[in-house]
Amino acid sequence: MSQLQVRDLQVTFGGLRAVDGMDFDVAQGEILCLLGPNGAGKSTTLDLICGKTQPTGGSIRFQDTEISRMLEFQRARLGIGRKFQVPSVYKELTVAENLSVARSMKPGIWHALTHPAIRRSSKMQDILDLVGLQDKMGEPAGNLSHGETQWLEIAMLIAQDSRLILMDEPTAGMTIQETERTARIFRSLSANHTLIVVEHDMSFVRTVADRIIVMNQGSKLAEGTIQEIEANEAVKTAYLGH
Amino acid sequence: MNTKLSYDIIGLTLFAGVILFGVPALFSYDGFELNTFSRYLSLAIVSMALALSWGTAGLLNLGQAATFGMGSYAMAMHLKLKASGDGLPDFMGWNNVETLPLIWGPFQSLTFTLLAGLLIPAAVGGLIAIFMFRARIAGVFVAIITLAFLVAFQLLVIEQQGLTGGQNGLTGLAQLVLFGWKIDIYSVSFYYMVGGCLVAALIFGLYLTHSKFGLVLRAIREDAERTRYFGYNVANYQTVIFCISAGLAGWAGMLYALVLEFASPTYMSVSFSLAIVIWCAVGGRESVLAAAVGAILVNLAEGRLSDVFVEGWHMILGVMFLVVVMFMPRGIYGLLVDAGRVLRRKPASTKEALPFDTPLNPKQES
Amino acid sequence: MDVVFNQAFAGLSIASILLIIALGLAIIYGTMGVINLAHGEFVMLGAYATWALQTYAGLGVVTALPLVFVAVAAVGWIIEKVIVQRLYTRPLDTILATWGIGIILQQAVRLGVGADSRFVSGPHWLSGNIEIGALVMSNYRLFVIAFSIMVLGATWLLMTRTEFGMKLRAVIQNRGISECYGIEAKNVYSVTFAYGAGLAGIAGALITPLFSTIPTMGTGLVVDAFLVVIVGGLGSLMGTAAAALLIGEVTALFSIVINDTLGRIAVLAGIILLIRFRPRGLFPSDIRH
Repeated sequence: MSQLQVRDLQVTFGGLRAVDGMDFDVAQGEILCLLGPNGAGKSTTLDLICGKTQPTGGSIRFQDTEISRMLEFQRARLGIGRKFQVPSVYKELTVAENLSVARSMKPGIWHALTHPAIRRSSKMQDILDLVGLQDKMGEPAGNLSHGETQWLEIAMLIAQDSRLILMDEPTAGMTIQETERTARIFRSLSANHTLIVVEHDMSFVRTVADRIIVMNQGSKLAEGTIQEIEANEAVKTAYLGH
Repeated sequence: MNTKLSYDIIGLTLFAGVILFGVPALFSYDGFELNTFSRYLSLAIVSMALALSWGTAGLLNLGQAATFGMGSYAMAMHLKLKASGDGLPDFMGWNNVETLPLIWGPFQSLTFTLLAGLLIPAAVGGLIAIFMFRARIAGVFVAIITLAFLVAFQLLVIEQQGLTGGQNGLTGLAQLVLFGWKIDIYSVSFYYMVGGCLVAALIFGLYLTHSKFGLVLRAIREDAERTRYFGYNVANYQTVIFCISAGLAGWAGMLYALVLEFASPTYMSVSFSLAIVIWCAVGGRESVLAAAVGAILVNLAEGRLSDVFVEGWHMILGVMFLVVVMFMPRGIYGLLVDAGRVLRRKPASTKEALPFDTPLNPKQES
Repeated sequence: MDVVFNQAFAGLSIASILLIIALGLAIIYGTMGVINLAHGEFVMLGAYATWALQTYAGLGVVTALPLVFVAVAAVGWIIEKVIVQRLYTRPLDTILATWGIGIILQQAVRLGVGADSRFVSGPHWLSGNIEIGALVMSNYRLFVIAFSIMVLGATWLLMTRTEFGMKLRAVIQNRGISECYGIEAKNVYSVTFAYGAGLAGIAGALITPLFSTIPTMGTGLVVDAFLVVIVGGLGSLMGTAAAALLIGEVTALFSIVINDTLGRIAVLAGIILLIRFRPRGLFPSDIRH
């Protein structure tokens, strides 16, 4: 039984079929990469899974529960986390506070009322060490550089510890070294998490992906390993000679 | 950015010291002066209540005066009944009301009154909150809806003359007997009671802002949608803080009715609600302590200056408010924080190295 | 039946006044997202200007209209340039700042002219009523209704047929791109704010024969005007007109069914419900913002 099952997923925006009958499964611990030209519907698919957008048809089953009608925070509680294309850390909060918010295993009000804002723990320290922000704990996130902000986002995702993590262009704006570092982090994450990653950086995808789905005009164009995809004629046509 | 807990504790201790020891000594324990100052202290409570919902959670409740008014009427109803020997209050007779309305009955009990003055505003706040936040109403619309509610509520209170005393409010109140203690509002002990309530409210407020609850609220204030993706039920958090804020406002209202010895619909006017916003803004809405200080300072200034500038005081208030909003949007608190940052500034930092030991790549910066 | 017609007329009269007041506010909010809590005071300024012109220059209400428009528009223009312009990035603070401005204007008038109620007499040629059967319609109120429709029409023409209107609509839809095309958004905003203020001034002038002119007359009006704008939907002149009509008629209806105050409360409650269920109003613009 796969962890995520998407069947005939559809969403229409004012006449435009942004996602048109997507069908795929994701197994636990897998790293699935979503590729495709701009406007193919990759980000929209992630939006549909995490609850940012409601589908107009189809079904999404996560760990054997139908989630397509649930609100976003309910899906988050089930274990779905999302990293957006535009870096979205809390600029007015410090790095430590950002991480504390991300630690949302117990998101209820009672827990929040009975615990301090920041609880130092070795786990938090490890995460900060991993992304290299251990010296910036008290710094407001708005003061971080672009690269550091990306790292903070990744740190927050790790702290959130979601079973299924949806990533939208995680290496955008990163250097080659940062990209390699991210790839290593992702591979270690996949031991206990499932990742769906929308990406454009092919070398990153080659290092990281267990499986690839190429989307075009809202539906699945091709599916398979990196070699299969690279050999696929339809994919080459869709990318116009990529 | 939230102040470190240690700074807040020091601040609160200093504040409590000044309020509980400094001020009475300053006024030579004169009952009349202390009574006037008690008024400022009760207004400080409603100002800090607004800071909780506005400064921490970003919810501008322009109808704060409504819940404040509910609390004052609760206390006034109890005291009016006591003044009428638990029988029919005089104004009802004048309005051809023959028997005590059902709503009034329970206020004969002190315990009920104290609970009602806290819980009824909280409940009303909760209903409005659920109404708004389930529908994900935010920002400006929260301000508009709460303002409309306030206007409607004040109209209702004035209209129901037989029930509420209408335009005139509730006057001719008895002295409060608090579980055997007959309270003289011109006594030093009454001042300590009000001061104690303010300090207690501040401790509670600081607890909230330094808890994870306060942190999540600040996250919601900055980006509610992102916070949902972490699994937080944003509507619930907003509703809870709104309720707490409304309950505190009710408590402040009860004290206010005690100090002034009457309750009136002017406590629920749009201008009064905006005055609360002004005090909170001047002090600094991000800090409950600053909001309380702001209320005390502005009202103190009004008390002293409105004798000098009898006609022009409201104009001065308007100008001051405008200046604060334009140039000091974070209030006096904001100025202090910025000053502190300047004083503690480290030497201009060089570009930080990459988080891992790799040579700088010319492709790097954003 | 007569009662119905008379109430319908009363509702129309209320609606026409609401419309002129709300129109200026709708334009300002629709264009710049500024919630101008001083709008009621612009109405008040218009009323006092009318009084001053009548008392010191012997001008009638109707003759004074153009002068009042220019005077209040000028005040609005200055306020926008000096204060509002600095607050575009902070919408909640604009509410507070304009409230402060409103207090200042109110107090200035109170200190300068006095708090006593001022009386302005309506034009003689509009006094009296037209009677059709049992339906009694005050001439002056008929004039106000006609005038409000004219103002609505003029504003619509301004927005759709003039170059300024085109620039305005461009800036509403997308400020950034408009500036790339050379449209000075700042100037558009200033003129728009001034126009909205001017409309409020005219409203003030028109209501002087109907209501007492006191410094605090603006406070109640601004909440009502706001609610009309919200109900009507952003960026929609027709929406504002429809909302004014709806609220005017409903208010009139409620005041015969129940009393005035309860009627007002019922209208407020209805509006709160409407904002909750249709926050974009009755006629929201179709463009995704």
